[in-house]
Amino acid sequence: MIWEVFRQEKPGDYHTHCGNVHAPDREMAKQFAVIQHGRRKPTESLWVVPQEEVGEVDADEVAFGGTTDKSYRWAMAYTSSTEHAKEVIASQQEQEQAEADRQRGDD
Amino acid sequence: MDVETVKERAGPREFSPADDMPEKYRKAATRMIQFHANSEIMGAYLEKPFIRQAPSIDRKLAFSAKVQDEIGHGQLLYRAAESLGIKTREEMLDELANGEGKFLNCFHYPMESWAEVPMIAFFVDGAAMRRQATLKSSSWEPYAHAMDKVCFEEGFHVKHGEDIMARMATGSRKEQQMLQDAFDEWWPRIIQFFGPTDDKSTHHDFSAEVGLKQKTNDELRNAFLDAYVPKAKSYGLEIPEYPRIEEVGDGEYHVEEDDLDWDEFFTVSKNEYEPGKGQIDSRKAAQEAVDWVRDTIEGDANLPGSQAAPAAD
Repeated sequence: MIWEVFRQEKPGDYHTHCGNVHAPDREMAKQFAVIQHGRRKPTESLWVVPQEEVGEVDADEVAFGGTTDKSYRWAMAYTSSTEHAKEVIASQQEQEQAEADRQRGDD
Repeated sequence: MDVETVKERAGPREFSPADDMPEKYRKAATRMIQFHANSEIMGAYLEKPFIRQAPSIDRKLAFSAKVQDEIGHGQLLYRAAESLGIKTREEMLDELANGEGKFLNCFHYPMESWAEVPMIAFFVDGAAMRRQATLKSSSWEPYAHAMDKVCFEEGFHVKHGEDIMARMATGSRKEQQMLQDAFDEWWPRIIQFFGPTDDKSTHHDFSAEVGLKQKTNDELRNAFLDAYVPKAKSYGLEIPEYPRIEEVGDGEYHVEEDDLDWDEFFTVSKNEYEPGKGQIDSRKAAQEAVDWVRDTIEGDANLPGSQAAPAAD
């Protein structure tokens, strides 16, 4: 049985996928994950998930973000000459970063 | 873990469902996150009718996207609240429907004209964002993670709200007057968004000690005023005479809290304010009207061939 492994580097971080292990049950999967995926890289916590329980949907099946122009959903679409609150600026910067990442993915 | 250990360890994103948290912490966090989730839902229901009143197709698209986002935030937050193991999402939605679920003061008031839309979509969302940005450092990790996504999306809401306001503020004299009237009516409620002053707040101490909350009501209110009083002025809005707001030097503002109607605030907070009751009931009616959808998705246990969902282990 294959278990997908997700590693969290620091407390409060997200668990992100880092690989998988073969194991007959959850306890063994946790032990193998500790050895195979928590040994060298900084690790706070690991999750193990049976591979067969993972559902996947990919870009061949759906158009992520839709097929029409949804620029109205982005902070960048609205311009004003006033100074924005710092958390609004931070949100827009994250959106700009996400949009840039998406554009790169299209190339 | 006992409460003393929780207080010692309390820090940003410190605790997750893998930790054995004391009931006092889990109840306090549930109360706070459930309130937040309820507010997202009730805010969305308050704004929803204005999708139809949007003055252009662009506004309609953007505004319906925003309302959809808010419902999504409610869902995210119910998940974060459920992760504490005190209440299920169904229990929280039922509490909201039967009038036990508490939510933000501003969403108890009726909205009648398009000029009121930016009061919510700019000022209330701006106030919410100021608070939410601090909650990215909440000690309950699922709550902080929900805030990451909420804050990511909220920048669009606030800037779109500002765009609606800017259009009216530079429109006809009638539009400007409508905007000012809406502002006069909403401004005191918006200031009360952050709740009573710290000495009157009942829940602050424990929530702060265990890191659920990062800032006090007063700190957040003042930080909001510092950013948004100049904003309002820059759009030609006149700040109402009451509550008195004093500039205490270097761009900082302070509000005379006794000028605000705290009796009304506490009536609202207890779900006893008449228009608010109507809004609770109309959301309840909406929840009941789509019961059949939930039943279809979740499967009716009484129907032949259907089976109960497998128990999570």
